[in-house]
Order: sequence, then structure tokens, then C-alpha cells
Amino acid sequence: MDVDINSLYDCTDNKLKVIEPGYEGIPPGILRRMGKAVRIGVGAALPLIKEAASLDGFIIGTANGGMEDCIKFLNQIIQYEEGVLTPGSFVQSTPNAIAGQLGLFTKNKGYNITHVHRGLAFENAVIDAMMLLHDHPENNYLVGAVDEISAYNYNIELLSGAYKKEPVSCKELYTIHSEGCIAGESAVTFLVNGNKTNAVAQLLGVHGLHTTDIAVVEKQLQLFIQKHLPAGEKIDLLLSGENGDNRLSKYYTSVENIINTATARFKHMTGEYATVSSFAVWLACQLFQTQDVPSHMLKTQKPQAPIKNILIYNNYKGAQHSFILLTKEN
Amino acid sequence: MSRIVVTGIGVISAIGNTVAENRTALQEGKCGITALSLFPSKYAGLMPFGEIKISTEELQKKLNATERGVTRTSLLALHAFAEAIADSQLTNDEITAFDTALIGASTVGGMCLTDELYHDANKNEGGSAYLSSYDFASVNIYLQERYKMSGIVNTINTACSSSANAIMYGARLIKSGRAKRAIVGGVDCLAKFTINGFNALHILSSDICTPFDEQRKGLNLGEGAAFLVLEREEDVIAKNVYAVVSGYCNANDSFHPSSLSDEGDGPYLSMKGALETANITVGDISFINAHGTATENNDAVESKAMIRLFDRVPPFASTKSNTGHTLGAAGAIEAVYSILNLTHQEIYPGLNCKNPIAATGLQPVKIYQKRPLQHIMSNSFGFGGNCTSLIFSTT
Amino acid sequence: METAALKEQLKKQIVEFLNLLSVKPEDIKDDEPLFGEGLGLDSIDSLELIVLLGREYGIDIKDPKEGRKILVDVNTMVAYIEKHRTK
Repeated sequence: MDVDINSLYDCTDNKLKVIEPGYEGIPPGILRRMGKAVRIGVGAALPLIKEAASLDGFIIGTANGGMEDCIKFLNQIIQYEEGVLTPGSFVQSTPNAIAGQLGLFTKNKGYNITHVHRGLAFENAVIDAMMLLHDHPENNYLVGAVDEISAYNYNIELLSGAYKKEPVSCKELYTIHSEGCIAGESAVTFLVNGNKTNAVAQLLGVHGLHTTDIAVVEKQLQLFIQKHLPAGEKIDLLLSGENGDNRLSKYYTSVENIINTATARFKHMTGEYATVSSFAVWLACQLFQTQDVPSHMLKTQKPQAPIKNILIYNNYKGAQHSFILLTKEN
Repeated sequence: MSRIVVTGIGVISAIGNTVAENRTALQEGKCGITALSLFPSKYAGLMPFGEIKISTEELQKKLNATERGVTRTSLLALHAFAEAIADSQLTNDEITAFDTALIGASTVGGMCLTDELYHDANKNEGGSAYLSSYDFASVNIYLQERYKMSGIVNTINTACSSSANAIMYGARLIKSGRAKRAIVGGVDCLAKFTINGFNALHILSSDICTPFDEQRKGLNLGEGAAFLVLEREEDVIAKNVYAVVSGYCNANDSFHPSSLSDEGDGPYLSMKGALETANITVGDISFINAHGTATENNDAVESKAMIRLFDRVPPFASTKSNTGHTLGAAGAIEAVYSILNLTHQEIYPGLNCKNPIAATGLQPVKIYQKRPLQHIMSNSFGFGGNCTSLIFSTT
Repeated sequence: METAALKEQLKKQIVEFLNLLSVKPEDIKDDEPLFGEGLGLDSIDSLELIVLLGREYGIDIKDPKEGRKILVDVNTMVAYIEKHRTK
């Protein structure tokens, strides 16, 4: 499916939901069992699975796994007072159902893992892949992340003050200056190996940290750049995970001041969720190819051509932060 | 590259609150699977569980852990974590260092609080104190905050193989230079979610489980936590070192979402792969701590895979008849038990197996014995066909 | 309830309960095997059908192995329901 990142979809009830494809590649007998998280995860992986000459494993990051199935099973427990319950939603709610289903679907007996560390679930999945490829650069892995909006976790997050209380439009997300953000979901997958030929991008570095202290974020950012940005090169674009929650603006402002380059934002396209940095990596890959940042994303002036190095800075609830540095290949 | 060694261990389970208590219970063939006395569930009178007989309130007091939103899962993890880091004599500087990783696992997280979860998921007002405690990461984030850790922190959930994968991940982080030391392990506590889930799959037994017995009827759920401190051998010359993490492998059975294939490709490949990373042969394995859940499917397939791989199946036993199946904690608890095997050069009796599986004739070890042991394999096989094998060796 | 009507009702319930997306109730033959060939259901489906029998017809099947003997095709299921239903 061709994606047009120049167009902007608006949210409904402060939620940006996925647009699901027809899933022609999944046999109905298997599709019927899949909750949304597994469905969109497998759906995002199928085109890559078709493309890959071989696959040595699946590495998935997801904070919550199959939330819809989780609440279906939970509600049954309460409704039937722990009586006779259907096992399907229990099995599908387990976070490793996504990677498990992918392994099952492809009859792949290789490495299969699910990282669930909240706002760093995707980053940990990437580090896992980097370690594997360091040892076996000839291998191919499918790395990805999935998180879904469900009534269950939306309600819990709303009660905890994570989301905007008043309805907002994506167009005004950064100008409203209030607490909270909007909810999002996605499934994003990548084929990775240790070979530059035909690669879209190279991951130069990934770093995650736990802190609410801006000074720590600043220091770690500087160390990260020193370690991973090749000598003599600069960051052409900062992809910022600013999400419209004014309690978190200080982190983004601080990072923007340090990096001091063209800045673009993406959460008005995606909403907020634990593994949204996976979408940012996908977006970076798109931008490497188009060399053009849509105007609705720009916070500053356009980046100078060529866009070679992109730094992604994201945080989840101001407590988990990550830096991802990518460089264009080919 | 330096070998990766274990310098500290901590465990809490239905058979003991410390490493020493667990060891004594294992030596004596003690079974911690009983009727529920603390946990409120319809199943309290119907089937036995490996329940830790300490209430959540007692744990909070004992651990001085009264932070808002702390769950029983986090408390059990804290108990074992604290024992492991004290055992390893890690200094505060080392715990908070940027090159100390924390890799944990849980399949329940804060979902042990089913009623609070139901309320928070469905009601419009009055959120509980646990709003940010339900997810799987909440346990490790609690430990990270409490101990002010600044290195890589990660949580893995691959069902029953979760903490075995966490141990493997921690070892690989050290090997790759991303960490100098890693505190690795897992935890799970009893929860209506998992009790009802496993019951819906008809794999819970109403009697105490009998791993590898021909008449086995299913598993008993248990709760517990275990952590291990992994370090580079070159850094710990002066320390007590328990064992080397010499082999590990994860493979996928890719047959069915919740059961293993007859051929057992997943278990076979994970065991074979672990031998390869350890650079040893089938004849070198002294003992296997089996996954051995006592379900019809697992024990049959695991037996078949062992026969397929090993010319002569080594002595083996499952400790799940002592502790119950502790899900996300199983891999780590059983790793600690494997280390106890090596440290004390002893094997513990597998409980409750009267008649071997007719198709294989394989019998688990039934009596306590001292014997020379060099390499111990520990297996954990989870939903989604996720199979992980670890090998621990003497130094 | 007449046998023919019960068969129709059961087929609808099977399709709904198991979320059989590409199957219409009227397409299920009375003697079409539910497992393996035919409808191609698996072990999780058999557990779910046992729950269906309990919730809709008050039939309590404790042992899934016994359940598989009843869950051969629509005919065997209907025969069992007619004999053992309590709802």
C-alpha cells in the first residue's frame, strides 16, 4: 500500500487509529483468531516476509501486546465469576503472540523474542538485533514493534492523566499548550542485516535511558553524539517526539537547543504510544528516500540538502528517553 | 573474550524465601504445592498451587517497600533481587553504574490485581493507585528507580521461557561490551488472569503434579522470583564465583500457539544450539533441569527431544513438582537451582513420578545424590513455541 | 426444538463463537468433519466449542478428550445436545 506522508489525517476522540489493509495474505482460518495487535503486526510483516530471501528470526517490541484480547478475557473472568472460559483470547493476549504467530506462519525455527519494556521496548528490540548482526552479519532478521489502542488501556491512561481531557485536532496539537497528548497505535516492521548493499539506512546508534532529570538527558545526548556521529559530519535533521503535552516540552526544547538543526515532528501523524519510535525510524527511512520533509512536520526551516544523518529523540511520559541515529545508505 | 560468570543468586519460591531455604527443601524433596491460603480465587478449594505463604502486606513491611502502587509481583522481585546483589557484594557504585544492566521478565506484571484492573479499565472515575503498575515493565522500572540504576534496563515476555531469555540476553549484553555486569532474572505471582487462562486450556491438574509420569494430568501454577548477577570473569578475581554461563540458545517450534509439535523441533534445536555455543557435546551434560511441567504435551515432547538429541539421555528431573510452574520466573528459578547443583555437586530428587512415560521409558532422578557434575542444562519452553536452553558449567 | 432447526442454530453459533470469517453457516454440511479436513478446526477450537455447549445448552464436559468424541461433526454434536441439554 502506498503511503502518502504529505497528507494529514485527523484524530477522532483524541485517538489516531490504524488503517487496516485487506490481509489477503493471511488465510481466513488463521486471521479469524487474531486480535488486533497480532493482526496488524502480521499484516505489517507479510510484505517483508515475501521480500526476504531468508529469515533467521523475529524480534518484536510491544509494551502491552494484545490489549483487546486481554480485556476480553478479563471481562469473561468477571462476568462468569471464574467459571468456564474460552482460552482463545487468553492465548492471543500474551505479548509474544505476535512474534509467535510470525514464527508459526513462516515455519521459522530461528530466534524469536518479545521485548516489553514500555517506552523502550522497540529500542531494546533494535539493540538485540544489533548484537545478533554483529555476530552474524550475513543473517536477516525481521525487527518491529506493535502497540494498539484498546478501550482498556485508553481508559487506564486517561485516568492517569496521560491524554488530553478536551477533544483536539491534530493540526493544533502543538499550539494548544495543555497537559496530555492523543492516543495512537501502529505496527512497524523492518528487515535488517549487516550488509550495506541495497540498504535504505544504517543504524549508527541506539540508546535508552530512565530519568526525569533534564541534565541527565542532556549529558547522555552529548555522549551519544560523540560516540556515534562520524567525525566531521553533522546531524541534518532532528526528528522530535514532541507530543503536545506541555509538561514534557522542556525536554524537547533542551534537545533542540543542543542539536541546533532543522527539526520536524511526527506525533500529530501517529499519536502517542510506547513504541512510537519505531514509526519515527520508518519515517526517517522515507525521508532519506524522498529527501523532502512535508511542511506539516516542520517545526523550523527545511533541512539543508542532502539529508544524510537523522537523529530521533523521543521520550515516553518524560521518564524513558531514547536517541536513535540513522544515516542514509545508497 | 572473558567468560561470563555468576557471582550472586537470590530466590524466593513456595519452598523457601532464600537460596539456603530452597536448597534445603530441594535436598529433602519438599513439595511446596498446597491449597491456597492467601490468594482469593474460586479455585482455592479446587486445585493446589505453589503459593508463597507470605502476605503482600508482610512483604511490604519486611522489604520496607510501601511506595504507592507497588504490586506483589514487584515485591517478590525485590526480595530475590536484594538477596542476589547482597550475595554478589555489589557496591552501590556498581549497581548505579551506567554499565550495569537489569534484564528481568514477567508474564503477569501488575495484572495480579484483577479487580483493580477491571475497575480502572472500565470506570470513568477514581483511578486506583496502580494505574501505571499493570504492565510487564512495571517491575523492572520499580527496581531501576529504587536502586537508581542507570544502565540498560529491559523486560522480556515470552511466556514460560521469559526469564531464561532474560538470562541469555544479559549474558549477550556483556559479551557485546554493552554492559560490564547484568542482574538478570524474572518473577511472577499468582493471578486470576493466568489461573483462569491455564484452566481454560485444561492444563491445570487438580492434584499435585507428576512430571514425566505416564498418568500425569497437568501442571500446578506457582509464584516466585529469582535473580542472578552476571559479570566478566576478568573483573571478579577476588569474588566467589558460582558457575560459568557457558551456553544458551533460543529456537522456535513453530507448530501451534500453545502446544509443542510431536517431533519437538523447538526443544531439540534449543538444546542443540546451547551445546554449540558452549562448545561441548551431548556426552558432556551431567544433568538436565527439565522444563517438565507435567502436561501431557510438554513431558512427552521434551522426552522425545532429549532422546533425539542425546545418545544416552543424562540424569534429569523437573523442579516444578517442588515449586509449581512459576511462569515468568521459571527460567531464573531453575537456573539458580542448576547453579546449586554445580556448587554443591549434588542432584535433587524429582518428585511424584511413579511410572515412566510408556513410550519413552525415561525416568527422572528420584533420590538425592552427590555426584561429580560439570555441565548442567536447564530448559524452558513457552507458548508460541518459544524454546530456550541454558548451560551452566563449573569454573 | 426440532432437529433441523437445532442444526441451523448450532451452525450459526459455531460460526459466531469461533469467528469463522469466511464460512457461512449454511455452507457447513451436517456430516462435514469439524477437525482435520473439512472445517479444519484445531485443539483450541475444541476447547471453545466445549464452552459453547456449556453456555448455550448447559452441557458440562469436563474432559477435553471426551469432548473430541462428541465434536466430530454437526450431526454428532446435535445428537449429544438433544440427549444431554439442560437449557
